[in-house]
Amino acid sequence: MPLDTSTYSLALLRIDGRRWNDLRRLHAQIHTQEAADGSSYLEMGHTKVMCVVTGPAEPQAGQQKRGTAGGGGAGALGGGQKDAASIVVNVVVAGFSSVDRKRRGRNDRRIQEMEITIQKALAANLHTHLFPHSTITVSLHVLSQDGSLLAALINATTLALIDAGIPMTDYITACTAGSTSSYAAGDDSADPLLDLNTQEEQELPFLTVATLGDSDKVAALVCESRVQVSRLEGMLVVGVDGCRQVRRLLDGIVRAKGSKMIKEGVVQRSDLMAVSLEE
Amino acid sequence: MAQQTLLSPAELAYLHSSLSLSPPIRPDGRTSKQFRPLTAETGILPGTNGSARVCLADGTEAIVGVKAEIEKTADPLGDDGERYREYVKSASGVGGGDADEDRREARGEWLEMTVEIPGLRDDDAGTVFLAELLREALLADGELARKLWINRRFHWRLYLDILLISPPLSYPLPLLSLTTHLALLATRLPRLKSEGDEDPMFDDDWEAAPFLYPRQGAAAGSRPSITLLVVAVGDSILFDPSKEELAVADSALAVSLCEVRRERGQGSMEVDSGRELRLVAMRTIDPPSRLTPPGVPSTANLAASGTADVPLQQKQQQTADEAPQEGVWKAPLGGTPFAVLDSIIQAVLEKGGVADEVLDGLEGVDLT
Repeated sequence: MPLDTSTYSLALLRIDGRRWNDLRRLHAQIHTQEAADGSSYLEMGHTKVMCVVTGPAEPQAGQQKRGTAGGGGAGALGGGQKDAASIVVNVVVAGFSSVDRKRRGRNDRRIQEMEITIQKALAANLHTHLFPHSTITVSLHVLSQDGSLLAALINATTLALIDAGIPMTDYITACTAGSTSSYAAGDDSADPLLDLNTQEEQELPFLTVATLGDSDKVAALVCESRVQVSRLEGMLVVGVDGCRQVRRLLDGIVRAKGSKMIKEGVVQRSDLMAVSLEE
Repeated sequence: MAQQTLLSPAELAYLHSSLSLSPPIRPDGRTSKQFRPLTAETGILPGTNGSARVCLADGTEAIVGVKAEIEKTADPLGDDGERYREYVKSASGVGGGDADEDRREARGEWLEMTVEIPGLRDDDAGTVFLAELLREALLADGELARKLWINRRFHWRLYLDILLISPPLSYPLPLLSLTTHLALLATRLPRLKSEGDEDPMFDDDWEAAPFLYPRQGAAAGSRPSITLLVVAVGDSILFDPSKEELAVADSALAVSLCEVRRERGQGSMEVDSGRELRLVAMRTIDPPSRLTPPGVPSTANLAASGTADVPLQQKQQQTADEAPQEGVWKAPLGGTPFAVLDSIIQAVLEKGGVADEVLDGLEGVDLT
């Protein structure tokens, strides 16, 4: 179903009633599963993903083989590293996640590319050199998709890695940004948009950007649609700003969970923690 | 499939002997028929026809989503207009719904099932076996396929996608089966508005959509089947085995049951006595214990006594040939004795037994 983008210029409201720089509702939970080393659940609008982190652990025989044989794709980069932990990312898109049931195999190119993007972004951020001869396995499950899938996956991974207590430089947060008119329209006055849903993604050019913490450092940037170069800068600025908003939200979730754990007595209160709790 | 537990032969022997006692002593102190607690919720994904999430006490977690699509029924006799009209005539001639009921020709292929386990390929033999095992059990009573029948030309195609969220810590069969059961109980299909063999039209009010397995009313009937994992260790039969118990099992069985509701008499005040259990399928599962290395008796252990330098290979050869010794671990061989099979069936089917308890537990889950 094509999206009618002509009405945007009238009220400056998007199809779901948001302004150009509004994020959708972001809801996340951390430590959702007892058995895993780290786990998280994240909703960005109707996109719902779950992440389970296992490790750093001794590499399993099967995983190593998959990694080097190129079957897993994402494991290839870190497959045989001895001096740093390798990162294996598995994305499972559930058949029931989209409106029409569509089964995607493990060898789906799009999924593999997302796996590699996430893995490379993490490899630069995590302090893998602290865990030689080990593997960090990130399993991501897509339960429901409504746009910004890669961004949601990256955000969920960050939360799960924090839950697993794996040292990293800073949060990696991601967000999508698009443009209000399609490439073919060639409209130079098009406004940038933040956090697209499926309908908008199908119609409009968009990119996914991930940044490191509060800085402007870009950790991952994916753009698969055609867009005029002149619009790219505006989209990127909006995207990076969105990432900063997402970071604030994720940070709030982590802090809320942390203070809850201290109150429940799971974690010992230390002087350092007390300071941040009073804020 | 089930991950290898890292237990030494001595530990395995200890576990095995304490589990074969009567009554067995299980590592977590449960009785032989006691299940571990689980948390369950349904209706977690609004985008599906039915969904459920179950977390077991050992931390394993699964999500099942059910999606239904309308599909044109392929006519096995070819598109024969004459014959079809004859059917219609005869059906309308009788004029009763009963004739229509008999004509309902359901096929098992209308249910499609996939299992996704992280870290395993989707065409992994173990995963495919697991999916087929669950599918077979669900279709065994023939009830589910009949529910998918719309009219002679159309039917529902049901897609059941099972996701194991956690790493496969133990054999996930019971978890997946219980989650599937709940998801099917929570499944609703749009209410049919059209009649007869017309192109189907549906009520777009989701609130009016009936459950696939209605709970109350005249249509309340069977329930989707559940598959339980039962292991036998020595003479004792253990339900809901943990990972360690599976690692020493002599044999493991997947027992599928379905519940048939007896029709209640009119005005009957009995609420929960109409349950009748039926065994629909049973399969043996290769327990991981078969792959465990054998123990070496201390009399033959040269490292302990330190007498001669016999090569290790030869030593293991000896132990494998010897008759089993008390307290020395030896991987179980052979099939399941008939007596064990019999007692498993007895234990499962008895009134107020394990299956009753599980079904009662599942009944308590809120459907949203």
